[in-house]
Amino acid sequence: MQARANDYGTWKLMAWTGPIFFIGFFFMWGLLASNFPPMAASTSAEGMWQHYKDLQFEIMLGMSVCIVLGSCYMTFGIAVSRVMRRIEGPEGMLSNMEMMGATITYAPILVACGIWLTGALQVDVLPPVAIQTMYYLGWMIIDIAYMVTSWQIIAVSLVFLRDKREKKLVPSWVCWWGFVTVASFFPVSLIPFFKEGPFAFHGMFNFWIAFPTWYIWIVSLSFFIIKAVNRIEIEDGAKAAKEVPVSGSGYAAAR
Amino acid sequence: MSKATVATKRLPAVEGVWVFVGADMFFFAVLFFSFMSDRVKQTDVFQASATGLSADIGGINTLILLASSWFVVQAVHAAKQDRGAEIAKWLLAAFACGIAFWVSKVIEYGDKLGAGITPVTNDFYMYYYTLTGLHLLHVTGGCVMLVYLWLRARGGAYNSQRMAVLEGGGIYWHMVDLLWIVLFPLLYLMR
Repeated sequence: MQARANDYGTWKLMAWTGPIFFIGFFFMWGLLASNFPPMAASTSAEGMWQHYKDLQFEIMLGMSVCIVLGSCYMTFGIAVSRVMRRIEGPEGMLSNMEMMGATITYAPILVACGIWLTGALQVDVLPPVAIQTMYYLGWMIIDIAYMVTSWQIIAVSLVFLRDKREKKLVPSWVCWWGFVTVASFFPVSLIPFFKEGPFAFHGMFNFWIAFPTWYIWIVSLSFFIIKAVNRIEIEDGAKAAKEVPVSGSGYAAAR
Repeated sequence: MSKATVATKRLPAVEGVWVFVGADMFFFAVLFFSFMSDRVKQTDVFQASATGLSADIGGINTLILLASSWFVVQAVHAAKQDRGAEIAKWLLAAFACGIAFWVSKVIEYGDKLGAGITPVTNDFYMYYYTLTGLHLLHVTGGCVMLVYLWLRARGGAYNSQRMAVLEGGGIYWHMVDLLWIVLFPLLYLMR
């Protein structure tokens, strides 16, 4: 069943929550809360405590906003899922997997930001080692939950690669970049074992490769999903115009 | 030159496979650069640790992967020449090499772990386990892909007109091989 005409507004609005998510997160999580670049895993407990003390307000504000903004990943995921159903049909399992993946991805974001927020809030009454533990905990949760997001990305990539349109709703290179993103995630499993080097959570690979790779994917996908919703609206409009009989012609034909 | 003799240039497989391969190799290039950068800082540790690896086993692994790449090339050639029955046999041979590589790595890891050498022993072994581990993940993915291609080939899915998927799989498998060809001297031979 096609979307009713007045559904497109909601659909577009949800598609636009993708850019709201990635722009908001870049500024609030990355820049304001000073996670871009993150504090090194090898920083001493006292160093981490001081970091939280110095940036208490910025971290509290950044994390509070990110907890709210993180939900946009879920709403964007619903918009993506709806576009995917146009390709694999209303009963498609992959579009369900995408929606579940996007929704559950919000959970580690929410929990990690909540932990960092609490660390900043309680910095004056907590010992340095507690702040360090909370900082690590946030990273372990937000990073190692990557497989849920990976399933989402795999589902998106598979479905849009199967798009039979001459000009696909989402170009193939975005889908292949999705597979690249998933491949870049696997070394993230190594973060508990290293405090230095490319596989630490602040390291060359697990931060400077894995995060930008995913970021390029979400920015590209958002751009094409917004365009796809507009295209689908136009396609549906054209289809509906063809199906509506010319006034009186049905009666004339019957006679 | 007449038009008939001008060969049409064609990109094997689909563009996306090349995007994936290019990006994946870039990731490994970053890791190789990181390895070399740390090696410069700790030359003694890296040199001493490298002597603990068996160049013979590394060499055998190289031969296994080179053979598997050759088998995949034969499978693609068979498809190009519409020798359908041969495709599955070559793919199965390539898959067997993938399994042999796996077995070899398990023995090698077991030997090292049994001697108490782990990724936290020193930075060299951190790179050894992570680089070869990531490569082994690629081999694992490649083996799954080869089984898929083998099953499809048995059903007659590939011929000279339909071989993009087979070529894509071949390109990926060659990348896995190529990565090992860089890894082998980097870890086993530079002493």
